[in-house]
Amino acid sequence: MRIVTCFKFVPDAKDIEVKGDGSISLEKAEWIISDFDLQCVEAGVKLAEATAGKTMALSAGPQRINNSKLKKDILSRGPDELYLVVDERLSANDTHVTAVVLANAIQKIGQVDLVICGEGSSDLYFQQVGLQVGELLGWSVVNAVGKVEATGSKIIVERNLEDEVEVLEVPLPAVISVTIDINTPRLPSMKEILKAGQKPVTEWNLPDLALVDIEPGVSVISMKSPRQVDRKKIMIEAKPDDAAAALIGYLSKEGIV
Amino acid sequence: MTEIWAYSEKPSLLAELIGGAHLLAEKVNGTVAAVVLGQKDLAEKAAALGAAKVFWLGEKNENNLVEDYIPTIGQLLKTNKPTLLLIGATQRGKAAAGRLAAQLHTSAVTDVKDIVVDGNNLLFQHMIFGGGAVRMEQAKTEVTIATVGSGIFQTPEKSTAPGKIVDVPFVEPAWKIKFVEKREKKSSAVNLAAAKRVVCPGRGVSKREDLVLIDELAHLLEAEIGCTRPLAEGLDWYPRERYIGVSGATIKPELYFGVGVSGQVQHMIGATDSQIIVAVNKDKNAAIFRQADYGVIGDLYTFLPALISALKARK
Repeated sequence: MRIVTCFKFVPDAKDIEVKGDGSISLEKAEWIISDFDLQCVEAGVKLAEATAGKTMALSAGPQRINNSKLKKDILSRGPDELYLVVDERLSANDTHVTAVVLANAIQKIGQVDLVICGEGSSDLYFQQVGLQVGELLGWSVVNAVGKVEATGSKIIVERNLEDEVEVLEVPLPAVISVTIDINTPRLPSMKEILKAGQKPVTEWNLPDLALVDIEPGVSVISMKSPRQVDRKKIMIEAKPDDAAAALIGYLSKEGIV
Repeated sequence: MTEIWAYSEKPSLLAELIGGAHLLAEKVNGTVAAVVLGQKDLAEKAAALGAAKVFWLGEKNENNLVEDYIPTIGQLLKTNKPTLLLIGATQRGKAAAGRLAAQLHTSAVTDVKDIVVDGNNLLFQHMIFGGGAVRMEQAKTEVTIATVGSGIFQTPEKSTAPGKIVDVPFVEPAWKIKFVEKREKKSSAVNLAAAKRVVCPGRGVSKREDLVLIDELAHLLEAEIGCTRPLAEGLDWYPRERYIGVSGATIKPELYFGVGVSGQVQHMIGATDSQIIVAVNKDKNAAIFRQADYGVIGDLYTFLPALISALKARK
């Protein structure tokens, strides 16, 4: 099975700077592989191993993602090849633009049986790209997949909904987005890290994908630190019985007990 | 004419979205419509809540998945071009939002926490970086799709002017996924958004058996039980609908009682509107203490039994 695993490089949330006016800046943030995409890549690699297939990792973004450390990082996690769509115009893309770019790249890669996306990106978490890619390609598409198995020209997936698990038979080619509990991603071995530098990397820009006019449908008005509620911050540190009595005292004043 | 539409496969959430659509429609001098899949009484209920038009997709055919109706909804959107479609932010709702957005060449804004009308523009608030920041976005496309979870809008009063029901013909999808089977998750159909009090265990609870302490505390406080994400996903101690946080439930209780919760922003953002926050944690540097009204520094395994017997003694 030929599998494309989509992933995103994102600014690391712990490097968010909050400015005096409450706005946030990501200028100094280090870029990393989005958390939930590690499970996505692992799911692809496992399935390729089980079907003697091939995994191709795919991402799109501004020049910044074209960084040898990031490229080695993703390849050390098991994919056979890496495809990057790099273009400065992809620095302010919405989910639709991202999906259009990825769908075009998937068609250019060619003969793909299955596309796997993560459950959402750890920066924006819209949970939309996989679904849109599937719809744009005209392939079958399922989200919230917690388990996947290949059986010939189909896959069997378990879909984790709020109150039930659906078992579905999905015809290929297909696009699925997988939840974070689908697997525990392996840590790259020294051998994989050394091998990563030798794996093929293909770089495209938007004209390579015959894309000229890409206009995001959503514009960002502001990014701010969330509103903080003032809390009393009364701390109780005492023996269990005394602490319980103290807490009940406070809660009774609040009218709770 | 500006139209605000609401759709959810979950009737209680659809009712809330109709409430939200009313609020927005008033501000933009628009009308409200609902899209309903299921028995006719669901369509009638949506009409009774004041949706001027109810697009009724009919009763779900046994051989169809809810997702098989997405092309039908897509056709409706292309024909009617509403300004905004609100979709309930369930997994099925997000699947519909993404696929419909792609059909309309637009972007969907998901897990919207607030919608602001600014002149002729709609602004959407969405949490980013797992709750670390709030982003305001403006939609620029003719039709905008937004998913909204439970607890953001309220079910409206019954309307004195119920709307009319329009039958919508089924559009056969280009491909179909075959349903094999489903397994119910044990679920108590909890509505955390409406809970007055919520006790919330976190990873500080080391074994599933220890949740009896949580059950007992919740019983004595007459509280519902919510949880942090790892307890619902991964550990599977609770159904997913019970986890509180940026991608889960948003709660607004008078009391949030966190037990062994570290206080990561992804979780706390779902509880930030609680009137009083109580936290128990053995780590005095736990982030939750900076966001709590009352913080007990101590081992939950010795503190909770003491609290439970003290509460019992008061009854």
